[in-house]
Amino acid sequence: MPKQNLVETHNLTKQYGSVRCVSSVNMQVPPGAVYGFLGPNGAGKSTTLKMILGLARPTDGTITLFGTPVNEHNRIKLLAQTGSLIESPSYYGHLTGEENLRIVQTLKGCSAKDIDEVLRIVRLDAARQKLVNHYSLGMKQRLGLAAALLGFPRLLILDEPTNGLDPAGIQEMRELIRSLPDAYGMTILVSSHLLGEIDQMADHVGIIRKGELVYQNALESLHSHAKSQIALRVSHTAIAMDLLRQDGIDISQEEDYLLFPMMDDSYVANLCRRLIAQNISLYRIEKREKSLEDIFLSLTGKETSL
Amino acid sequence: MITLKTEFQKIKRRKIGLTMAALTGIQFVWFLWATKNPDEKELTQGWLNLLYSLPLLNVIMMPTIMSVLASRLSDLEHKGNTYKQLRTLRRPGILYDAKVLCGFLFVAAICAAQILFLLVLGYCYHYTDTLYPHYYLSAFLLNLGCCFSLYLLQLNLSLLFFNQMIPLVVGLCGSLLGLILMFIKMYSFLPWGGFLSCTLVSMDWNVETRVVTYFYREHSAIELCAIGMVFIWIAIFYMTGRVAFTRKEV
Repeated sequence: MPKQNLVETHNLTKQYGSVRCVSSVNMQVPPGAVYGFLGPNGAGKSTTLKMILGLARPTDGTITLFGTPVNEHNRIKLLAQTGSLIESPSYYGHLTGEENLRIVQTLKGCSAKDIDEVLRIVRLDAARQKLVNHYSLGMKQRLGLAAALLGFPRLLILDEPTNGLDPAGIQEMRELIRSLPDAYGMTILVSSHLLGEIDQMADHVGIIRKGELVYQNALESLHSHAKSQIALRVSHTAIAMDLLRQDGIDISQEEDYLLFPMMDDSYVANLCRRLIAQNISLYRIEKREKSLEDIFLSLTGKETSL
Repeated sequence: MITLKTEFQKIKRRKIGLTMAALTGIQFVWFLWATKNPDEKELTQGWLNLLYSLPLLNVIMMPTIMSVLASRLSDLEHKGNTYKQLRTLRRPGILYDAKVLCGFLFVAAICAAQILFLLVLGYCYHYTDTLYPHYYLSAFLLNLGCCFSLYLLQLNLSLLFFNQMIPLVVGLCGSLLGLILMFIKMYSFLPWGGFLSCTLVSMDWNVETRVVTYFYREHSAIELCAIGMVFIWIAIFYMTGRVAFTRKEV
């Protein structure tokens, strides 16, 4: 029996006036996954996450959390099993980090001991008595994550959690997020506009473009989309092209290179011999792979910013 | 109750109590100045005088005090962008109610402090007219109603606008309006004029003798309607504010 998805959306749509920000999104977040929600800026990631958290009302569609359709009556009860960090961290600057967490802990109704634990996890225990106004942006972001972790929820929803962090902070945050499913059995839904980031953190990916979910699957599956090609640069391109076409090979030209699909080594060796036999000089022979970036751009469109 | 508890956790170090004490203290200083060195005539109607002066002072100062209170309680949420977190933990309506209740407790404390101050002042001066406790109790309740209606109005504005200058300007304009209303009529259906409608004591100033005589008022039907309007404003501000807050997306 397949495991129940922790988050499911069905035709989730959000329209502001005549602008459709999110259009019929059918997201499925499996349990125990780190689901990377990827898309260019303004693609509708935050709006989708806000709708899941009840911060924005869907124009159409439904949301199911932990197998239960969300409505106004059960929303808070279901969200009690989630933690979230949307866009920027929420905090009271005039209070200390610990006092901020105390407020969330009181509202969540979880154990006061959790405060010590989450502060340790995000490595803020030394700054717990410091006013949050005196925190750096990275520390505020970690405090936001600590608040989300309070009560150790089943589902963690993080919207661009590495925004504003320095490289070391980004790396630290990524490692922390990646460790949570194994350490605490959490499922993570994390959004980002950076493919590399999602590639390093997630095991499932959903790609959103102009409000539409254009791809959703395991990250491995996205990698398998990466096509390998052989690129050939020779002294007489036209002759070489004819030779390959005679063999029935699908060939294309890109600048000085001839590109054809991956072949076995014996065919490539034979081809080289035949080219040399016809006095064609062989300058370059390379294996080219379609990168994740290429796939991402082909799915989201090159005109959008990354 | 848990949500209300967090409201008080949030305002730690905000010195809201101190700010309210300072603003109310200005009123107390004014009372001390206005009642100093009473003559024989003034001592015979001291309790009446205090009850007459209280709403007049409140109509000028309370709109501003309430705007400061509402703003201090709300701006911390705007600054910290906290509602997107709080709304995943509590229904928006409950969050709004907690803010209302927290403010109400401050308002009640201010109104109680005012009445207590007047009683202490009266006893210190040994006013010779009869103290009718039920008038002072009524003054407290009506004052509370008027202040609370203004607090709700200001709270709604403070929650609606990120820039707290807007509600503060409304509060200041309310104070000016109250001042103007004093010269128009002793009752008003506007929220800022509620204090005037709820005045329990009136006065007669004899032009020839230049003697002021205070007396307990008997409210006409329209004045009673104006008093009722204060409580209608409370209902209107509460309901509209709660609906707007609940519907607002963050």
